[in-house]
Amino acid sequence: MSSSIHILVVEDEPEVLDALIRDLEVFEEVFPVEAASTAEEARRVIDSMLDEGAKIGLILCDHVLPGENGVHLLISLQENPDTKAARKVLVTGQAGLEDTVKAVNDADLNHYIEKPWTEEELHSVIVNQLTSYVIENEKSVLPYMQVLDSERLAEVMHQRGNVSDY
Amino acid sequence: MKLTKLQFTGLVLGISGFLLPLVVVFSGLSFAGHMALGIFLLAAMFWMFEPIPIYSTSILIILLEVILLSVEGPVFMNAELPTETLNRASKHFVIPAEAVSSQQLLYSIDSEGELVGNKVDVTPISKNRVQVEGASLTEGMTIVADAQHRLVQYQPNTYADYLGTLASPIIILFLGGFVLAEASVKYDLDRNLTRLLLGPFGSTPKFIVLGLMLVTAVLSAFMSNTATTAMMMTVILPIIARIDQGDALKVGIALSIPFAANIGGIATPIGTPPNAVVIGALSQQGMIIEFGQWMLYAVPVVLVMLVVAWATIMGLYPAKTERLKLDLSGSFNTTLRAKILYGVFAFTVLAWITEGIHGINSSIIALVPVAALTFFGVIDKDEIRNLPWEVLWLVAGGLALGIALDRTGLAQWLISSIEWGALSRIWLLLVFAVVAVAMSNFLSNTVTATLLIPLAISMASSGIAGSGFNLLITSLVIGISASLAMVLPISTPPNAIAISTGMIQTKDMAKAGVLIGVVGLVMVMIYSIFFWPFI
Repeated sequence: MSSSIHILVVEDEPEVLDALIRDLEVFEEVFPVEAASTAEEARRVIDSMLDEGAKIGLILCDHVLPGENGVHLLISLQENPDTKAARKVLVTGQAGLEDTVKAVNDADLNHYIEKPWTEEELHSVIVNQLTSYVIENEKSVLPYMQVLDSERLAEVMHQRGNVSDY
Repeated sequence: MKLTKLQFTGLVLGISGFLLPLVVVFSGLSFAGHMALGIFLLAAMFWMFEPIPIYSTSILIILLEVILLSVEGPVFMNAELPTETLNRASKHFVIPAEAVSSQQLLYSIDSEGELVGNKVDVTPISKNRVQVEGASLTEGMTIVADAQHRLVQYQPNTYADYLGTLASPIIILFLGGFVLAEASVKYDLDRNLTRLLLGPFGSTPKFIVLGLMLVTAVLSAFMSNTATTAMMMTVILPIIARIDQGDALKVGIALSIPFAANIGGIATPIGTPPNAVVIGALSQQGMIIEFGQWMLYAVPVVLVMLVVAWATIMGLYPAKTERLKLDLSGSFNTTLRAKILYGVFAFTVLAWITEGIHGINSSIIALVPVAALTFFGVIDKDEIRNLPWEVLWLVAGGLALGIALDRTGLAQWLISSIEWGALSRIWLLLVFAVVAVAMSNFLSNTVTATLLIPLAISMASSGIAGSGFNLLITSLVIGISASLAMVLPISTPPNAIAISTGMIQTKDMAKAGVLIGVVGLVMVMIYSIFFWPFI
């Protein structure tokens, strides 16, 4: 199996962070979850992950953070070739229209989850986003079928034809 | 590149195996046989432990053979046999000591340039000269002055023979199948056929599973087992999602696909690579198996095994749901190019199956889809690049290894060390079948067939296994048994895909897989005794 793909959660309110991480438990075994409470900490976490050869597949980011805001962080990550491929999701209740538009245009935002979220909604967004990440970035999709959208991954395998009899 | 401990062990064993015949001289084995033994040991270890990909091992085999065994390689490039004329010195023939082999053979060259071994009695007379006597020795005979010389008992092939395996008829036959499969995926023919064929199976879960298995088997007979499984997963996953939690039918359906794909691959020469190994190796022995002839041998096995697998799965994982609604909507692609594909596909399959009637070799027919589909732009260079070329290399390397084993006398030497006479014909077949199933549960099916087939061939050509030995049937037993291994997720790629969906556990697969493997062995034995010898 190639290097592991991580999920990064950036959220400053401890209770909200806990709730997010709890809802992400089902993915933990295949996609380890990392947490940060500020943009600055998020960058440190990302740097150390990249140093270990890991990849970032998905970033769930709150908008209102102490210091640098979430949209700004996502834009800078979009400009960084190491994190450009990561799927970017804004989880927030307070991003205004202007910031949201900026996130869509400049950070290539993949999804917007409005607080409060439901577990099913979050789950389906994450499955969807990670499935897209895996399809775009991984040669072998087999290790991810169990937790992600196995039908879409099977279709990709069928189309690519890169698994053969031996 | 980081190797696991097991892979590292394989790497070390493979390299040691390669070097062993360079330092140890095995009695009765020619110089070239030593070279081939090194290559064989390296290949076996690398294929088993996979320190490098299995197709890469195949490519390495071809390279090593070209270097070490071909006329044009550095080893045999300017090789010439050292000869002497046999002349009587006083009463006896006196010759160099190294002219007599460890088995007391003195090689002479007859009028046609062929090497003949003469049994001789040796009396040493000096440090490097011996006095020999033998009934077949005559005055003026040309003898070989060095019995260990690399040209003794080996006529090196041209390197084109080893390279040519990649364009051998069976490889071209596969290429034809690959191109059809690739185009079918592109135009969604495989999925649309599935929908069409599933229609008559109604809505009872039992029959839906039977339908799924039959369709999977039919498709995997012409496409790769793996591609068929991947496609069928896109068909069954939505069905499974609608079944209630806790209904064993979920497991049953998920298990039925890889099993049917593994079994279906047996049905035609192009179904799965082990078939190619068998057919390719037999054709090197001058035994040509026609497409339809293979199907005549194999389809009865496939049908019975499908029913067995179906009954096993339904017995182990009975459905609670009574009705299952299938969504069979979807329509065939009706563009001109798709229609050309349908026509070419139908023509090719028909021509393959009727080879016995028109007599045109199936490998020649296989070039028709390759030419026609590219001619009409049904597939373009992207699809050609996307073909599983590594599978062709894998099979070609296996065929090249077979040539070397045969030509150098290694295969014969290997089997001559075992007392085969003690085994009756049926026991011998059973041994091959059991070993093939056991090996291919852990190793690649193709590798299993590749390693076992040369043994069968040399048993036949040396006559060592007695007159009751039938090469064709033994080869069928090996090739088909290699496809009956489906106990573990690693046994076949379809198994790996099915496990990855998370719908089934390894123990589910093992339980059903062992049952099917055992019944399969029994069936293969029954066919090899009561059916194959009579067609």
